[in-house]
Amino acid sequence: MADSTKDGDEILAELQEIFRDILDQPDLTLTRASNASNVEDWDSLAHINLLTTIEKHFKIKFALNEIQELKDVGEMIELIQRKLASK
Amino acid sequence: MNEYRLGDVTVGMKHEFDATFTAEDVAAFARISGDVNPLHVDETYAKGAGFASPVLFGMLTSSLYSQLVGVYLPGKYVLLHGIDIDFNSPCHAGDLLHVAGEVVFVSEALKRVEIKASIRRADRKLVSKATIRVGFHVD
Repeated sequence: MADSTKDGDEILAELQEIFRDILDQPDLTLTRASNASNVEDWDSLAHINLLTTIEKHFKIKFALNEIQELKDVGEMIELIQRKLASK
Repeated sequence: MNEYRLGDVTVGMKHEFDATFTAEDVAAFARISGDVNPLHVDETYAKGAGFASPVLFGMLTSSLYSQLVGVYLPGKYVLLHGIDIDFNSPCHAGDLLHVAGEVVFVSEALKRVEIKASIRRADRKLVSKATIRVGFHVD
C-alpha cells in the first residue's frame, strides 16, 4: 500500500539511486527531462539493465508498448505511478 | 545445444552438467589471457603458498557459466549481457566440477532472462556462484 502513495519526487529520488548504480555515476543528478540523449552511457544495454532493476525495485512489470513510448524520466515516473496505483 | 525461445523460458527452469579442466587448459588460458600469475601456473610456488597444486583461474572455471547459458539455459538464441560472480573456494586441474543453473527472472518486454548459477566440487564445496543476465536476440 505504501508504494501506491509515492509521489513523483520520491520516485525520482529512488530512480536517481538506481541510475547512479547501473550507470556507475555516483554524482549523477537525474531530472524529469533526463533521457538517453543527455545522460552519458544510457545506451541500449544500460536501458535494459535500468528497466529490469526498476521492475524489481518497485515490484512492477512493464509491457513492451509501455517502454517503447517512454521519452524521458518524467514519463517513466508517470508510468511507474500508474503501475503502482493499479497494483 | 538447446534452442529455447523467450516464450519457452519460465522461472524455475534448471540445467546442470559436469566438467573438468586439465593442466593443458590452464596453460592455454594463461597464454590467451596473459595472466601468468604463478599461483595458477607454477606448481612449486602454489605449494609454497599452501595449495595442493596450482589454483584454477577463476575466469577459466567461470567460462562454464558461458557454456551454461550459451548452450543450455536458454541456449542458442541469447547473448551474455552481464554476470556477477563471487569466488568462494579454490579448485584444481582434474577436479570434477558440477555446474547448476536456474532461471530466476524473465522479462518478455525487455527480452531479458536472469539465471542464478553455481559451481561446486565433487565434495560439494562451493567454488563460485553467479547471477547471469542474458538477452534474446531473436523473438
